[in-house]
Amino acid sequence: MNNIVQLGVRLLIVCVLSAGGLALLNAKTSPIIAEYKRMEQEQARKEVVPAASAGLFVLRDSSTDLPYYEAYSDPEGIQLVGYVFNTVGKGYSSTMETVVGVDLQWKITGIKVTFQQETPGLGTKSTEIRYGETDPWFQRQFKSKPAELIKVDKDGGEIQSITGATITSRTITDAIRNNTKLLKEKVTAREKRS
Amino acid sequence: MSATSELIKGIWKENPVFRLALGLCPVLALSTSIPNAIGMGIALTFVLIGSNAIISAIRKGVPGKIRICIFIVVIAAFVTIADMVMHAYQPALHKSLGIFVPLIVVNCIVLGRAEAFAQKNGIWLSILDAIGMGIGFTAALTAIAIIREILGFGTLMGFPILGQSFEPVILMILAPGAFITMGLMLGGLNMIVARQKKAQK
Repeated sequence: MNNIVQLGVRLLIVCVLSAGGLALLNAKTSPIIAEYKRMEQEQARKEVVPAASAGLFVLRDSSTDLPYYEAYSDPEGIQLVGYVFNTVGKGYSSTMETVVGVDLQWKITGIKVTFQQETPGLGTKSTEIRYGETDPWFQRQFKSKPAELIKVDKDGGEIQSITGATITSRTITDAIRNNTKLLKEKVTAREKRS
Repeated sequence: MSATSELIKGIWKENPVFRLALGLCPVLALSTSIPNAIGMGIALTFVLIGSNAIISAIRKGVPGKIRICIFIVVIAAFVTIADMVMHAYQPALHKSLGIFVPLIVVNCIVLGRAEAFAQKNGIWLSILDAIGMGIGFTAALTAIAIIREILGFGTLMGFPILGQSFEPVILMILAPGAFITMGLMLGGLNMIVARQKKAQK
């Protein structure tokens, strides 16, 4: 009996010291991580709507399942040039997150995959930048295509899917298409209200 | 002499990947490119040094019955430190290593060194052992990554070296490519060691 207590106490000491140390470190690193994520998202929004790169983004519907940003080309928020939203989709081996920008005609102005853990060498090509280029080739092909109609080539669309990673390509494409439809309904409803 | 040999044994004689065949999961998964391989090697070396040092320091107070529990708690703490620090200060690398950083906790090299070395030896020897094992692991991972990156992407550190006409061998960046490369290298090294032994006789 005494022995069991002694074992427990020793294990407890090790656990408490480890947890305490990690808590201290977490308090130090978590603001940096959160700040990095916020900056990454902000940067992504500017990248996907180049027209608003010096403008203003206003968050709408933040409490619903599809919050979105209105993108303005000026810092005062007068000239609306498009919308930005995040999509989340189940890929082949991970849940992928994409930031999508569309203009007022619902054409895609840019997309950026901000999180994925797909198969290395196949699905990860969704973020691959070829040597000598500055942006990922897979994401570039979405530009100026009508967001409600995009499909991958295997589904009869014109988005060239990644060789060996059809599911990854399809997840990104379908999530953009479906969320755009949803967003369009929301925006139309909002315009009617005002 | 013995201190140096503890350091060097991990690199060749007891190389964790090629001689002990431990911790092969991240070796297979992350040897697709050289930066990934080196990043993973550094993360693992950090965890090894930390866990070996602490386990060696507390070894006299650790009851044999619950030593594995205590080792795992210590290892998990260091893995979480590596994960958090990397996430905060090297976000790009953290992204490309993905799930394999948290998975260091179940890497057999780390627990293996705690069990086989750190709990029986002093702090300095344990740290040297960890550094040697870490270097051996990183070197093995990088060696496999060099072959796979050249054949699978046609690049070295991201620079194309085989020209436009080279058609990348997709197999090499997939799991089978990792197994084939690893198997051939393991076999080759075994052959060299066998020949050395023969020559000594």
